[in-house]
Amino acid sequence: MGYAKVNECIIPTDLHIAVKDNTWVRVNEDGTVTVGMTDVAQSLAGPILHAKSKSPGTARKRGRPIATVESGKWVGPIKSPVSGEIVEVNEELAANPQLLNTSPYKKGWVVKMKPNNLEADLADLQMGEEAVEAYRKKIEEENIPACSHIEGTEDYE
Amino acid sequence: MAKNIGYPLDLKMNHYADVSYDEKERLFEEVKADERYHHVLYGCYECGICVASCPSARFYDFNPRVIAQALAREDVDLVYTLMEDSIWDCSQCFSCDRCPRGNSPGQLITIMREVAVRNGLASAKKALEGYGRIIYKIMSTGSQVSPDMLQPNAFPDWGVHVNEIAENLELWRKALPPETLHTTETGWTVSDKTIIELYLIWHMTGVMDLIEGIDEGLFMILVDVMEERLEDAGYDITFD
Repeated sequence: MGYAKVNECIIPTDLHIAVKDNTWVRVNEDGTVTVGMTDVAQSLAGPILHAKSKSPGTARKRGRPIATVESGKWVGPIKSPVSGEIVEVNEELAANPQLLNTSPYKKGWVVKMKPNNLEADLADLQMGEEAVEAYRKKIEEENIPACSHIEGTEDYE
Repeated sequence: MAKNIGYPLDLKMNHYADVSYDEKERLFEEVKADERYHHVLYGCYECGICVASCPSARFYDFNPRVIAQALAREDVDLVYTLMEDSIWDCSQCFSCDRCPRGNSPGQLITIMREVAVRNGLASAKKALEGYGRIIYKIMSTGSQVSPDMLQPNAFPDWGVHVNEIAENLELWRKALPPETLHTTETGWTVSDKTIIELYLIWHMTGVMDLIEGIDEGLFMILVDVMEERLEDAGYDITFD
């Protein structure tokens, strides 16, 4: 898996990324998609203390919250990058929410969804060099500080 | 247009958007339209009692006298500058209420803050940013600070005992005599009836509209929690 580093932030080049909402999508072979938050998102939030996902079976339109994340001094939604139904949630996050910080693209995935408008939704996301450039622009425009990584962050390979 | 009275606000950098004079005037008119306004602003003869008694003036680049003067002189530009900046340095202790003329810069600031929030000013968003989690907690659960918010890594300034308590939080809570305090996710047990009533109050009084203007993400997750619970209780209410 390839990745680029922008301002100390890891941007994978093999995932579909919603740069605006700081989320990512991985298309799985069984037709589901895995959704999570990006390195930029975890860094902005700081060490996460609570992560509560919507239950499996919940239908979500793109842009609606699929989880609520709380850090020491911030709370906000993870907005769904695709429309569809939540089929599985990452149970480990309830007990160990800091997986979102230490492994945002792997162990810290948030939900799996059965998308119902995938092609159109993916067309609005960015991938590869396009996503990296979009992030570079966003980081510069919004003055986002360099990504910080808490102890235990895994190497992204 | 009234002149800036020389307070070094210009040096504080314009980290907020400048808006048209008409817009500043509109905001000022909204401040003046508040029914409390004329009860807390008279004239200022610059005695400085308010500044001398103000704890914020001692520690920040803040001056309650400027508030009273800018408003009394109807300095529309400066009033806007204050609303985007200084008014958030006030600790709302109302020590300045000892003004011999009956001015209350603190209460004037209360009104200005309310107008700033209602209009979604950048300064209001920034000032309230750090309170998002508390607003979420109180509006979604009905209790403000919950024991499990006392995470050692979030509050290192609270000392080492936070570590000990966080480790066995549930046990500590169970040691408290009232059963309603055997909670960790909320400050106490909140009954369904109470929470539904609270949600209805937030809905009917326009609080949710205020939140939407200030923090869209916070609004989104609150709506999510509230609509679901209200639906379970038999209310067909949407906030969007």
